[in-house]
Amino acid sequence: MTADPLRIEILVIDDEVQIRRLLRLTLEDAGYVVREAETGLAGLSEFERAAPDAVILDLGLPDLPGVKVLARLREKSPVPVLILSVFGQEGSKIAALDAGADDYLTKPFGDGELLARLRALLRRIKPAVASNTFRFGTVVVDLERRRVMKQGQAVKLTSMEYALLQLFIMHRDKALTHRQVLRELWGPKAEAQTHYLRTYMMRLRRKLEDEVDDPQYFQTESGIGYRFVSEPGN
Amino acid sequence: MLAVSRGSAFRWDVATIFKRGRLSDWKSESVSSFGEYLEVLGVIAAVTVVSWFLPVSYHAMGHVYLLVVILLCLRVGRWPVLFAAIVSALVWNYVFMPPRMSFSVLHFDDGMLLGIYFIVAIIAGQLTARIRAQERYERLRERRATALFHLTMALAGARTLDEAVEAALRQADELFGAQSAVLLAREKGGLTLHAAGSFRPGEQERAVAEWVAHNHREAGRFTGVLASAEGLHLPMLRAGQMLGVFALRLPAEVAALSPVQRDLMEGFAVQLALLLEREQLRAAGEREKFFAESDRLHRTLLDSVSHELKTPLAVLRSAGDKLDTEDARKRTALTGEIRTATNRLDHLVANLLNQTRLESGGVRPQLDWCDVRDFINAARRAVGDAMTGRVLKTEIPDDLPLCMADAPLMEQVIANLLLNAVLHTPAGSPIQVSAGVDHAAGAGRIFIRISDRGAGIPAELRENLFQKFNRGRTARAGGLGLGLSIVRGFMLAQGGEVTAGDNPGGGASFTVYLRHLAHGNVPNDDR
Repeated sequence: MTADPLRIEILVIDDEVQIRRLLRLTLEDAGYVVREAETGLAGLSEFERAAPDAVILDLGLPDLPGVKVLARLREKSPVPVLILSVFGQEGSKIAALDAGADDYLTKPFGDGELLARLRALLRRIKPAVASNTFRFGTVVVDLERRRVMKQGQAVKLTSMEYALLQLFIMHRDKALTHRQVLRELWGPKAEAQTHYLRTYMMRLRRKLEDEVDDPQYFQTESGIGYRFVSEPGN
Repeated sequence: MLAVSRGSAFRWDVATIFKRGRLSDWKSESVSSFGEYLEVLGVIAAVTVVSWFLPVSYHAMGHVYLLVVILLCLRVGRWPVLFAAIVSALVWNYVFMPPRMSFSVLHFDDGMLLGIYFIVAIIAGQLTARIRAQERYERLRERRATALFHLTMALAGARTLDEAVEAALRQADELFGAQSAVLLAREKGGLTLHAAGSFRPGEQERAVAEWVAHNHREAGRFTGVLASAEGLHLPMLRAGQMLGVFALRLPAEVAALSPVQRDLMEGFAVQLALLLEREQLRAAGEREKFFAESDRLHRTLLDSVSHELKTPLAVLRSAGDKLDTEDARKRTALTGEIRTATNRLDHLVANLLNQTRLESGGVRPQLDWCDVRDFINAARRAVGDAMTGRVLKTEIPDDLPLCMADAPLMEQVIANLLLNAVLHTPAGSPIQVSAGVDHAAGAGRIFIRISDRGAGIPAELRENLFQKFNRGRTARAGGLGLGLSIVRGFMLAQGGEVTAGDNPGGGASFTVYLRHLAHGNVPNDDR
């Protein structure tokens, strides 16, 4: 319960008072400062006023669709946004992620999960530590020389596999939609070619995961995309 | 098939029965045709020519002509017979009575013979006419009976109300040479025109039909009410209940209807009314059955949902109360209980939502290329704690192709099958997940199989295994019996299927299948 000297402010936009109370409890315990809003419009004006460091946004608000609130936020700022949704809203989750949300959580979720996601989002707003290597598990990626080592052995990646890995490292611990990855790697015309992505993911996992059938780092988000988990079990 | 063959047999029958005079030939048959007079003349001429060369006395000839008149009675109508009597009398006098080839004065004997001619001709003509009328009446009755018989056959054979009405209307069209229509009474009043009718009543005709429906009496053309209408509208009544209106539009040249025709039309209306009544009763019965079934389901749902909801809620409340007072060690145990209870609630709500989505047609799979390993991993993570203490073996070939599926649906399918295996097998027994391509059928299918080492599927459950609320007796507490029903629903929605069977060596095995499709090329790079 160490108070963060930076006093990081989180804005919670959710219409359920109990969720807001519990989020406040969890977040304040973790040392964040919490601001609340009950509706989308109130959330937007609170955002203007308080300029929080991150936003937790519920997709099912009574006044405005969550995606619309997100779009208005994005007009103003690149603030990290974590979406809360309920079971069965895959479509709106993807829409929110494509519209610029940084990550999502499906209710009900655990405290640990929430805090881990939030930490990952906040880490990225701080300038990345100037480092030429990135490590996960037994894998070391030399970003400057574009070399990958696993358990001390050089791993040969094709240029596309490397580009995929690089994209994941850049967006580590964050959900990436199929569309986002496909567009980044193969261009806008390939947005629907999910089988490219599936095939390359399989190759990448084979080369970098310890257990191909039970991947720890390159995780699939069903129906949404992938998440690169840099520190599994954290 | 039966209905169809009956229908065509009927049409054939109608064609043969009415070839010589359909009910739609509205001209009276009692007017003898011109042909019968010609026939009379021909017969008399032939007899005269033949007799001319025969050496018989003119007296004998008189008898020959009398015989001819009597014989003609059998073939022609009343007036042609009289005509035959007159002609043969004149010919006999002119040709045979001396002096030949001129009219001669009658002797008393000859006069008497002529008199007998006429009396015989008149009596025979009367008799013939009566017999013919009788015959015609019988024929009409037979036609009517045949028509109604075939109508009932066609109606009985029809599978749906629409089929039956269509069959009835086509027969009415053919039989009466008219256009026909059926207007069905709506439950809340008013009439609906059945689409199969060949008669499209305009606003005025609809008004006549409405009058009929309201007053339960026939109206329109050929009746005393609203006779200026185009069509004849007959009510279809059963036990005083208005079922609809049968409307016929006869050709304009028809001046009147015979009682037989009228009778047949009414017969049609009665048959149609019977049909409608039968249909109404059937629909009512079905509705009742449906309500009874949905009532049963509701009760089952309510019973098990309340049980399934209340158990974890009870745990939550009791654990919540104790959290304040217990020491740290017990608190850890309590939070574990809370977590288990919430997981259970979460799973329950997910299944209820899934079942509702399936039943309301809300499941619209987003098919996309997927890696089977992803479903299995996601499902395993979703099942989470429930798998504690279990050995899960996976067997997936390295070269397993991608499949076309909806990933979130497949994740739940596999999760439900895993949970099902956990619930129905002894703690600690192993579960195996394998996948592969089944090349048995055509292009092949991709399968995922979940096998356990439990007691297998009880025989009495097999038939309704994938029905909702069908819970195994051996299942431990928990679950609504929705899991497998959702598995099946989700698989069917994706164009796949699920089967259940025995695991060789003991236990049950569930296999889901997805179509095996080939995806487009994946661009290669410097490998």
